[in-house]
Amino acid sequence: MTGRQTRSTIGMLAPATGLIAIFVLVPMVLTIGLSFTQWSTQTGFETASFVGLANFADLLGPTSIGRDFRAAFGNTAIYTALSVALILPLSVMLGLLVHQTFASGGILLRTVLFSSYMVPMIAVALVWSKLYSPTEGPINQMLGWVGVPPQTWLSSPRTALVSIVILNVWQQVGYFTVLAVAGLTQIPRSLYEAALVDGASAWMQFWRITLPLLRNTLLFSAVIAVINAVQVFEPVALITQGGPVNSTNVMTYHIRRVGIERAQGGLGSAMAVTLMLSLIVVIVLLFTLLRDRGEQR
Amino acid sequence: MKACKGWHLATIGALMATSVGTQAAEISFLTHWGPDTVALLDAAIDKYEAANAGDTITVRAVPFGDLLTTLRTSGGGAGGATIAGIYDAWLPDLVRDSLVSAAPEAVASDTTANWPTGVVSAASVGGSLYGIPNEIDVYALNYNKRLFEEAGIAEAPKTWDEFLAAAEKLTDASKGQQGFGLINSWAAGVLHPFASLLVSNGGDLIVDGKPVLDSQAAKETFELYEKLVTSGFSDPAMATADANTTGPFLDNFVSGKTGMIIMANWWESALKAGMGDAFADIATAPIPVGPSGDTARSISYSWMTVVNAQAAPEEQEAAWKFLSWLNGPDSGENGASAMGDILMSMGILPSRTSDVAAFGDRLSSDPFLLGYTETLSDAKPFPVVLGGQEFSESLQQTLEALQFGQVTAADAQANAQADATEILERNAK
Repeated sequence: MTGRQTRSTIGMLAPATGLIAIFVLVPMVLTIGLSFTQWSTQTGFETASFVGLANFADLLGPTSIGRDFRAAFGNTAIYTALSVALILPLSVMLGLLVHQTFASGGILLRTVLFSSYMVPMIAVALVWSKLYSPTEGPINQMLGWVGVPPQTWLSSPRTALVSIVILNVWQQVGYFTVLAVAGLTQIPRSLYEAALVDGASAWMQFWRITLPLLRNTLLFSAVIAVINAVQVFEPVALITQGGPVNSTNVMTYHIRRVGIERAQGGLGSAMAVTLMLSLIVVIVLLFTLLRDRGEQR
Repeated sequence: MKACKGWHLATIGALMATSVGTQAAEISFLTHWGPDTVALLDAAIDKYEAANAGDTITVRAVPFGDLLTTLRTSGGGAGGATIAGIYDAWLPDLVRDSLVSAAPEAVASDTTANWPTGVVSAASVGGSLYGIPNEIDVYALNYNKRLFEEAGIAEAPKTWDEFLAAAEKLTDASKGQQGFGLINSWAAGVLHPFASLLVSNGGDLIVDGKPVLDSQAAKETFELYEKLVTSGFSDPAMATADANTTGPFLDNFVSGKTGMIIMANWWESALKAGMGDAFADIATAPIPVGPSGDTARSISYSWMTVVNAQAAPEEQEAAWKFLSWLNGPDSGENGASAMGDILMSMGILPSRTSDVAAFGDRLSSDPFLLGYTETLSDAKPFPVVLGGQEFSESLQQTLEALQFGQVTAADAQANAQADATEILERNAK
């Protein structure tokens, strides 16, 4: 590459990379730097005082700071694991239903499923908080018709987080179904025809053809689902405010509470950095796990 | 009253004298009030703008749950709201972070002369006044007279023994009916009823900046909560609140599935809206007195309007001038302030002395407010300390853990005291 080409390349890349540097990298580096300081978010950066690893020590310590952080971290991990574990199989199952050609209505089903993804979260939160109402909510009334006793849903620390997961799955599954359908359309029909000639059952076709060839789609879906789940904020802020007994207090909501409401910027930054590092580890593990399996095949 | 009016005219005059030569300003008012109340504020603003050509005031309303966050995120810059209505417990942290400006001398003098000393003290830090107080809130026992009659209870309980006996009679699991309604998932809703029972039992939350949750009075209050839950008189699953301070806890009281609840006076409008004609079934009474208490008491807290310290000088000046008018005796009807009119529309007690006098007849004749006004003189202010928000949230979690049987009363008391000690010491540094 000549010097002129190099300059031209840099010139063309500079606007995009410059914007990324300003709006992504600088805040990230700033957050990492602030995580080693004691700083009120209401004052200038010049007031931040270096405290070394004290904020991270507090996150691991026995005080309410550490206890609340670890509870929020655990809630986020459970929320993420449950969301991904439910969304991925459901999206594949619903994707197969949408993609099949034996019965009509696939397009209608896809439209209905995707429509839930387009509804603003404020409306979803408003409706679901009423649906979940323990005494007057329609869900408990319908359960009553089939003899199931009323459930506590958002009103108990045992069930509140799972209730938020169900709400999340309901809203997100349409989007992931569309991704699954896109993956299914990439699988050559000739493979299924050959399998039929060999006498493979539908079950065998699913396990030997569909699922392996959906691997890249599933990897992408898993990564997006994990990132979406870790960033959950709106339903908690709008419905439960982290309660009851901190059972739905997730990381983003807790960071907002500490970093903004209490103005403890250094501590909030340390929490954000810990969350970011954990997310990186999970994403790398996902890639490693699914890629290794692909190579073994 | 004439003396008050004289003070007020002098204040407006002093502010106007300093504003000679300054330009008209555009200012904004951040509040958590609902649409109906904002409409009343807008009407007052229209009246003010008509008499003060050039000054324009816009109202920004956010849900209560977002108020502090909005203040924290946008209040620190010049683009933040010029005026904000805040809860007194937030003031020390906002002053420490230089988010709010000290009131000009004329405003401070007028406020000191026309508000009760305790309320002025809650709006001050380090001897300087930072806000003009408006509402004062106390807690009372709210009960459903129809359910009381059905359960054969003649009158509101005056002691904890009578309170527990009433809760037992009102509880009917077969109807999904609980005797006493707790609140969870909302810091103030969890904390203030507990704090009111505590002070009505002779206790305190904080004394001289140090938590005193290890007292005998606090022990008995934690045990009362435990007994309510373990006896089935209170069902924590019926107690959830949402970000708009409504939710099942309100629905259950409104629909007659909760016999008693301890709540602040401001929720009268929410009850009326939810209950319609059935609101006539609701009565109020002072907080029952505990075994270590001597008289019925409630926790009290106040709200105030503050001015953004980062706003331009002319905006700050215009803001104080408007607030002096809004809270002064010339802006409302019959010697009341426009703020007093707005507060009374929500069933909220005003704190300005002349407003209390102007609304005297209504305050003494409104049966709902009577349970509140009766205890106003014996109320104990909620402690205003650095780290107050974190202290509140921490105690809330402990109380919720107790509600759901995750800890015993003894453990809850020990945890609450240890956490509060650590939080207050850390924030005081």
